[in-house]
Amino acid sequence: MNFELLFKEAKAKGIEDIQVYLANDSDFEIEVFKGELDTYNIASTKKLSVKGIYNGKMGTVSTEIINDDMIDFIVDSIIASAKTIDSEDEVFIYEGDKEYKVVEGLYNSSLYEVEAKKKIEDVFNLEKLVMSKDDRIRMVQAFYGDGSRNVLIQNSKGLKLEKLVNTGIMGVYVIASDGKDQRTGIEYSQSNDYKDFNFEELATLGAEKAVSLLGAEPCESGEYEILLTNNASASLLAPYVSMFSAESVQKDVSLLKGKVGEVVGSSIVTIVDDPFMKKSTKSGSFDDEGVATSYKKLINEGVLTGYLHNLKTAKKDSIKSTGNGFLSGIVPTNFYIKPGDLSYDKAVKSMKKGLIITELAGTHSGANSISGDFSLQSSGFLVENGEIVRPVALITVAGNYLTMLKDVVGVCNDLKFNFSFIGSPAIKIKSLVVSGI
Amino acid sequence: MLGKVIIEKVLYAALETNADFAEVFIEDKFQTDISMLSSNVEKVDSSKVFGVGVRVARGYHSVYGYTNSSLEDDLVKLASDLAQSFEGEILNIKFELEEMKVGNAHKIKILPSEVSIEEKVDLIKRANKAARDYDKEITQVGIRYTDYVQNIWLANTEGTYVQDTRVRTRLGINAIGANEVTKQSGFNGPGGHYGFEFYSDIINVEGAAKEASRVAITMLHADECPSGKMPVVIDNGFGGVIFHEACGHSLEATSVAKGASVFSGKKGEKIASELVTAIDDGTISNAWGSATYDDEGNLQKRRVLIKDGILNSYMIDKLNAKRMNDECTNSGRRESYRFAPTSRMTNTYIANGESTFEEIIAATKFGLYAKKMGGGSVNPPTGDFNFSVGEGYMIRDGKIAEPVRGATLVGTGSEALLKVDMVANNLLSAQGMCGSLSGSIPTDVGQPTIRVSEITVGGRKGAN
Repeated sequence: MNFELLFKEAKAKGIEDIQVYLANDSDFEIEVFKGELDTYNIASTKKLSVKGIYNGKMGTVSTEIINDDMIDFIVDSIIASAKTIDSEDEVFIYEGDKEYKVVEGLYNSSLYEVEAKKKIEDVFNLEKLVMSKDDRIRMVQAFYGDGSRNVLIQNSKGLKLEKLVNTGIMGVYVIASDGKDQRTGIEYSQSNDYKDFNFEELATLGAEKAVSLLGAEPCESGEYEILLTNNASASLLAPYVSMFSAESVQKDVSLLKGKVGEVVGSSIVTIVDDPFMKKSTKSGSFDDEGVATSYKKLINEGVLTGYLHNLKTAKKDSIKSTGNGFLSGIVPTNFYIKPGDLSYDKAVKSMKKGLIITELAGTHSGANSISGDFSLQSSGFLVENGEIVRPVALITVAGNYLTMLKDVVGVCNDLKFNFSFIGSPAIKIKSLVVSGI
Repeated sequence: MLGKVIIEKVLYAALETNADFAEVFIEDKFQTDISMLSSNVEKVDSSKVFGVGVRVARGYHSVYGYTNSSLEDDLVKLASDLAQSFEGEILNIKFELEEMKVGNAHKIKILPSEVSIEEKVDLIKRANKAARDYDKEITQVGIRYTDYVQNIWLANTEGTYVQDTRVRTRLGINAIGANEVTKQSGFNGPGGHYGFEFYSDIINVEGAAKEASRVAITMLHADECPSGKMPVVIDNGFGGVIFHEACGHSLEATSVAKGASVFSGKKGEKIASELVTAIDDGTISNAWGSATYDDEGNLQKRRVLIKDGILNSYMIDKLNAKRMNDECTNSGRRESYRFAPTSRMTNTYIANGESTFEEIIAATKFGLYAKKMGGGSVNPPTGDFNFSVGEGYMIRDGKIAEPVRGATLVGTGSEALLKVDMVANNLLSAQGMCGSLSGSIPTDVGQPTIRVSEITVGGRKGAN
């Protein structure tokens, strides 16, 4: 599409300023199951999202048909959309920052230098490797996928920015059975450097996760010391990310409203948003509004320092945007609880009577981001006097996320990120309510 | 739009190696989303989706690719690239696409395109006012309106060539109540395979909005739920999510075919209490999960999954039917061209029983009454499920007592189904979005009020 022509048409119809966001994606995905190639997907897609200011309101439209014939449709849709918006918030098309940090390591062609055939072979071997780890492993789904995204932002104020990112993921989903009980485990690693995938480690950890839970039963109800593993803690943090959005704060749906400068967590808790992390598709020197991104500690040693902003919310609070304005709203880039010095093994040893929680299910429904309350089906291990006694499943662990942050008594050194680059090390909590038998 | 000739060329390109089946799925969709927060229209977004998905298979092994391009060369290349993953001699399959059949099982009165954005906004304003006027403790209301027209074309090397149009709309109301102590939310989101007539002929907009506020306010003044094992009475409507999660997913061929489901190989066996008959029906007129054709070009149908407690049928798509050596139940669905189709639910419900709601409450000495369910999830290999209770009450001495919040129900699907000991006669369905392998799709869940004799209830109050 000829964007200059689009900008001209828009201006002619009264749109003051206009910005296009064009994403070109290509994706590849394979899965192996029982020695057979179960999934093989290839895709190349593009999507154009356009926003424009008309009578002081921001109209938006998106299309997957991208050619000059769509220009009228785009311009008319923006006007129709802007006409009905009655939010009084001031909106912006950004002229750009003076400087954008150069972020290295976001694209690595090594993912494409390895041929599809070799990747498939590797995934077949990975499946076999997991099967060989333990007789009780019944089934393995081994998977690999990679994707790249090329982003172009261009606007009528002369801003033009481009970035190219890619990532790959390799992992295993393992089902183990001892004849009576059946358990599952998942292990994966993400990188845009194919050499980083350690098959032996993936197989060992994946197998262990499923097998170690065999025979799990509920424990007695009560209050327990809790050690959330890195995966479990990241999955619990995910539904609460929206609390940090300035939009949630300004709309009065965030528990963190009015708490800047206050203690909201234990002094060993620091939460970071880092757009400059290598090998992550969430990284980059600018957000979707074209604003330069920034590294920030949202919670620094327990104290809330601020919120995530886009241009609109920043203007309301009379500050600078933090560079977190994305098409999907105000979201973090790479968001994580900063790791500490404690080793995971030491954390286990330090528990008198507690539970290691390795998995939390249903965080999309059982964790309420408005109230902070959560009550989640969990599995893991019962620990007594520093030793793992037995696996535990079908229990619920309940609490309130903000209360829990204050009750963090240990932060481990094993930071791990989930699929959407929300990360955490294992964290030890003073206590949570457990419901079992 | 792509013509028959081009589609045939693409399909033949897909068969140039050893593949025995190929399919082209074309999607053209126009969606409007409007959101309101703090009584302001915040966002009005229209999006045009267009793409083509090509699936190539040999036996039950398939590969899938998709693109936004509608150019013949690009599509032939995509099909040919996909074909390269099957080595071997060409099978020389000949086919001819039949005359295109057009789906028309669900009548639409007012297409979304015939309604101005202003009229849609007026609707949202009415809902917003009703939700806010319900109680002064309602401090925030978020509303999201969605409508879309999804046109799909499906052609395959068996000659199938169909076109289907899905017109759907939904109004989601999220009300938040707050006092000094806490914030609680209530949600109601009616929707259907309807045009704009949904809001005049089918639902009461103000009533739907008030319902969200009622839940928020009730939960604002509720006590924390006690935990422990107890009888649970799950109400009709969205309560059906228990069946959807605890059992429905484990009856989909995606988990059954690979032997990964607790219900694999159990056809003809008793898997539920004899009071339970469960049905998945994609033909219900204008229901949220209905369509004329599934996303593999087969006519939607009604499937009796469980009859009087006995497992009668799984939900099976075309390729898994080959893997399972069972009949395809026309259950192939997908979110969009970006997903290969697989077996999915449509409108799933437990059929009416003979008790009344009042009888069930009166027969329960102590337990939890889950009036509104939240969402949940299940791990099919283990059958472990969890779901949150959006609005709950304790039952004491056969009477509904104080409201409680923060409850989660956990258990295994196979056990819970066997423990259903009362089923009422007040079947009602509600709308949800279901996420699985082939994306997020609209599904109805439903049931009459049922009682499960024992479920583990997790709450923050500790043991009762």
